[in-house]
Amino acid sequence: MTEFDLIVPSTPDEAVAVLHAHPPEEVAVLAGGTDLLFDLDGGRLRARHVVSLRRLPWRTLDWNGATLTIGSTLPLRAIENDPDVRARLPGLYTAVRAVGSVALRHRATLGGNLGRASPASDLVPMLLALDAEVELVGPSGERTVPVDRFVEASRKTALRPSELIRAVRIPEARPSAYLWQRVRPFHDISHMAVAVAFSPAGARWRVAVAGFPPRPILVPAAEAALGPAHPSDPDLERAAESIVREAPIVADRRASEEYRRRLVRPLLTRAVRACGEELR
Amino acid sequence: MTAPAPPRCRVNGRSVDLGDVPPGERLLDTLRWRLALKGTKEGCRTGSCGACTVLVDGKSALSCLTLTREIEGSAVTTIEGAPDDPEGARVRAAFEAVGALQCGYCTPGFVMALAGLLKERGRGGSFDELLEDLGGNLCRCTGYAAIVRAAASLRTEEAEP
Ligand SMILES: Cc1cc2nc3c(=O)[nH]c(=O)nc-3n(C[C@H](O)[C@H](O)[C@H](O)COP(=O)(O)OP(=O)(O)OC[C@H]3O[C@@H](n4cnc5c(N)ncnc54)[C@H](O)[C@@H]3O)c2cc1C
Ligand code: FES
Ligand code: FES
Repeated sequence: MTEFDLIVPSTPDEAVAVLHAHPPEEVAVLAGGTDLLFDLDGGRLRARHVVSLRRLPWRTLDWNGATLTIGSTLPLRAIENDPDVRARLPGLYTAVRAVGSVALRHRATLGGNLGRASPASDLVPMLLALDAEVELVGPSGERTVPVDRFVEASRKTALRPSELIRAVRIPEARPSAYLWQRVRPFHDISHMAVAVAFSPAGARWRVAVAGFPPRPILVPAAEAALGPAHPSDPDLERAAESIVREAPIVADRRASEEYRRRLVRPLLTRAVRACGEELR
Repeated sequence: MTAPAPPRCRVNGRSVDLGDVPPGERLLDTLRWRLALKGTKEGCRTGSCGACTVLVDGKSALSCLTLTREIEGSAVTTIEGAPDDPEGARVRAAFEAVGALQCGYCTPGFVMALAGLLKERGRGGSFDELLEDLGGNLCRCTGYAAIVRAAASLRTEEAEP
């Protein structure tokens, strides 16, 4: 690990100013550090200054009607501990609990998960199915980007130099589910995962698949096949078929393409049925 | 003008000056090498085994993935401090009652993880959730049956594992 100094700004403005004052390749942003420390240790990043977000007022979770806004530096454990998240966004509850262990989730954050943009992220597919948006602050002000445009590839996001993720906004409570396949059910990396959510406002399904590079993706053909509410068995079959056929699923060192495609049908079927129980 | 107060944290009730701690130092190394508290174990150093689990402000944390300077102002409890912590003491007693260890390397991590769960959840919650919540702690001796028995004995509804 290269030597670095730790800068701990007290306000968002100060944090953005500190980032802006240094060449981008010399600074790194630290939230929980559960991804960043590996990049610093492994020499992938050679930051001379590490900017800690721990004093920023972003450890928040606010419901406004059916809209949920989660501050970027809130530890993941606080999301699963919110009773309304469990009741109104069950897929998000499940996805958060799929990340690492309790002790990891006491430090790891939603902002960090988006910032790392891992193809195996358990949160990005669920955020896609929930049509979540990322609120950003930077030297030229604020902007909002849908998760679908924010996450580009592993370690690649739409973040501009000196920009920070402030919060993630989920527009409505949705019947939702998240299912994955791994070697061990907990505390392991997902080989393949399916996130589904039903939008009451839009009367439509959202379906995302994840686990393979370059990034988690939505599959509109599957959404159309599921129809406007309770899908029949043939609807489900067609939806699974369209993912198996159309999704750009590939192999990597964790799993083969064929294995991943085979996992689509059982994961999708069970995930949609789990929501069906809530729709009733 | 007076110089700013040096950064500090508390470890098992004792105040520790963090002024000399380099920004990259992990809490695990601060505990074991700076403070000579060898009860906290290093297993993987990658967040994967839970052997290094301690409590930071009452919540379980992986000391191998925590920068010491980041917990400035916080209170750390390690296995050495468990007897003086109400939940830590209860978990320790439960492990002793069942004999929930073989080589003992994973034990400090399990005890602190369970103490954190007791503080957070009390004695309720389903048995399945308890197992999920212990998923981050590995026992290389595979002595899980007794560990799970000890954990289950801390719950209100005595479920047969
Ligand atoms: C043992 C272990 C198991 C894991 N298991 C899982 C798993 O099952 N599923 C899963 O999805 N992930 C898993 N992870 C990965 C990781 O824990 C998560 O991605 C976590 O959410 C990262 O959050 P963090 O706060 O620790 O991020 P950090 O490490 O602090 O940051 C990650 C990246 O995001 C950037 N960043 C952080 N916050 C911001 C912000 N507010 N604005 C701009 N950029 C920011 C950082 O600069 C860095 O590049 C695991 C990691 C470990 C070590
Ligand atoms: S040493 Fe920290 S989790 Fe293994
Ligand atoms: S008792 Fe040996 S590692 Fe668990």
